[in-house]
Amino acid sequence: MKKATMLMLGSLLAMTTLAGCGSGGGQSASQSSSADSAQGSSNQTIKLTMEDRLLETSTDGSVIAHRKMIDEFKKEHPNVEISEESLQDATYKTKIKTLAAGNDLPDVFELLGSDAQMFAENKLIMPLDDILNQDPDWKKGFIPSTLNDFTVNGQLTGAPMQMLSTSLIFYNKAIFDKVGITKFPSTWNEFIAAINTLKEKGYIPIALGNKDKWVAESCILSELGDRFTGTDWFNSIKNHQGAKFTDKPFVDALAALQQLSKIGAFNTDVNSIDNNQQRTLYYNGKAAMFFEGDWAISSLNSEAPQEIKDNTHLAILPTVEGGAGKANVVSGGAAWAFAINANLKGDKLKAAIDLVKKLTGVEEANVAAENNAVAATVPTNYDKSKVAPLFNEYLEMFQKLQLSPIYDAQLSPAVIETMNNGLQDLLIQGKTPEQLAKEIQDTYEGA
Amino acid sequence: MGKKLSTPRLTTIYSFLLPGILVYAFIVFIPLLLSIYFSFYKWNGGLSKDFIGFHNYSQLIRDAKFWFSFRNNMIITVLSIVGQLGIAFVLAVILQAKWVRLREFHRTVLFLPVVLPAVVVGFIWNLIYSQNYGILNGVLKGLHLQSWIHPWLDDPKIVIYSVTIPIIWQWIGLYLIIFMASLQSIPSEVYESAEMDGATGVKKVWFITLPMMRDTLGVAVMLCISGNMKIFDNIFVMTGGGPGISSTVMAQYAYNTSFGQFKLGYGSAISIGMIIISLGLILLSRRLMGGRSVEP
Repeated sequence: MKKATMLMLGSLLAMTTLAGCGSGGGQSASQSSSADSAQGSSNQTIKLTMEDRLLETSTDGSVIAHRKMIDEFKKEHPNVEISEESLQDATYKTKIKTLAAGNDLPDVFELLGSDAQMFAENKLIMPLDDILNQDPDWKKGFIPSTLNDFTVNGQLTGAPMQMLSTSLIFYNKAIFDKVGITKFPSTWNEFIAAINTLKEKGYIPIALGNKDKWVAESCILSELGDRFTGTDWFNSIKNHQGAKFTDKPFVDALAALQQLSKIGAFNTDVNSIDNNQQRTLYYNGKAAMFFEGDWAISSLNSEAPQEIKDNTHLAILPTVEGGAGKANVVSGGAAWAFAINANLKGDKLKAAIDLVKKLTGVEEANVAAENNAVAATVPTNYDKSKVAPLFNEYLEMFQKLQLSPIYDAQLSPAVIETMNNGLQDLLIQGKTPEQLAKEIQDTYEGA
Repeated sequence: MGKKLSTPRLTTIYSFLLPGILVYAFIVFIPLLLSIYFSFYKWNGGLSKDFIGFHNYSQLIRDAKFWFSFRNNMIITVLSIVGQLGIAFVLAVILQAKWVRLREFHRTVLFLPVVLPAVVVGFIWNLIYSQNYGILNGVLKGLHLQSWIHPWLDDPKIVIYSVTIPIIWQWIGLYLIIFMASLQSIPSEVYESAEMDGATGVKKVWFITLPMMRDTLGVAVMLCISGNMKIFDNIFVMTGGGPGISSTVMAQYAYNTSFGQFKLGYGSAISIGMIIISLGLILLSRRLMGGRSVEP
């Protein structure tokens, strides 16, 4: 007994001392391994580290497609060993920035558009322009606007992994019919009237789960804001050319969002449930609508009861009177891309490029399409019968739409943080639109 | 080989201490020094930093959000001292009584929440507070107290109290164990002679138990303050500091600033501010508790 305890203690001590030295030893180890791979033959195992949001349990079609590509890549490249860590969205966003701060990024990782500038300025990312130019077929495949999203100071920072629209309205037509709304509202006033009707009949007009703070901003305000301000205003904000968050159109957009909460358009626990739970309210038939991006199509397809699935249709926000934005616009873009660590060299770099190519090539686009997701590359050949009806509806709608910027994919993290926190207050009347606009503007000027 | 039971050499002593010191230095001391270093810089991650002297600190002193989150910490701390220590003390005294059966069982059950990870506690209470499916609102409905039903975690006026209750609930057990141990060390002769003088229940607690436990209480208050000044995980899981910033505590604010807005320099300054404030409060509590020891 006593001997065993001593043994345990001893090994514990040994472990902790080793851990203590780990940080010192790590660097030399990684140096030697990269040297090995540079001079070694191609038979040698190449180790790649990878950090992503591709959870095996996800029902998102884009994730399913990327997972499949990783599996295939492993089969095709037996000499490449990928040590991968997949995290949940919110956790991932934090972790990757923490790794960046420590200059300790993995070899291949997912890059959020709004982080691209900071990462690029700190020279953490391998510019992909030359690499892409060497493979014209790969480059041609991308939808051009997705590449623009990741071009920072004239350099391409990542290979876009998807094509998103973030603010679709999913609505239950059966409920709309039941309360006597025959057509999805096409003006703001009609929209408000519809919400009031739904509310009177005992439904939650819009299910909203804003606990993680990005949903109200990314899926509602990005588009609602554009309806009021127009995209020119946003570009002026992004490039610091004089537009302000305190400009009247943006304040009006905030006011419109608050108006929705004032008339009881949302469930009362908006700030304590998340976007998965907002869908649950919708699946239960308690809620008539919810706002989310196209990723929710595949989730809805695999999670919702058949009856709800059959009655679900898609719409975009109606136009607002006097707004500067165009009507046929949905907030969208690539939002995420695969990026390569700037420190990679030799065989390791080659393997990383192959992996990213596999993950963003046309093959991935086809698999994604069959799983109801849109890749950043145009799909060429996929089985249309495998696709959910709602996805076809989406593709049809999407072709007629133009894209406006997604706020959290383009604005700086500090501005987004202030905006997201403030929106939680705004939605429970804890702040006026003017106050919030001023706060965002202050952060914007300070950043 | 031949030597036995002699005083170990100094090198032996230090080599046994070394692992512990190394670990401590690695996870506490070095990060602390680094934080102090970073707090003098404007740094948003990566390789480039700008030295800005005490600018972060002068900004911190004028930062209304920081003081708001400090206020939240204070609310939690005061409620915890009253709630955790108060309830634990009452329970400890009751469990000490002769007529209590199944003493070990009660003690174990009350201690159980302490060993639960904060994340689990957060999730459990999230479910309890849930607007539509939560047991709390369910019970209130069952009792026909509809007017009491609240969105517990969504109302900025009450959210700070809603998140405090799980914290109090979780840590009662810890103080209960500390208090029970201390109660057992009070010699029974004191009680017996008091009983002969005619002291009963409450009087015994007030005139014997409390004064005899003053040192323990002092330590408990200190633990309570330091624990609640750095509280983070429960609240992070339950509300993420929301709605808005209404349940944001200092640690959460430092976290948001560092890893949400990526102002790592300012985030470090907030952490250092937290340490200074916590130390100040603990010294103050020592002072107050110490002052009473003059009494008979």
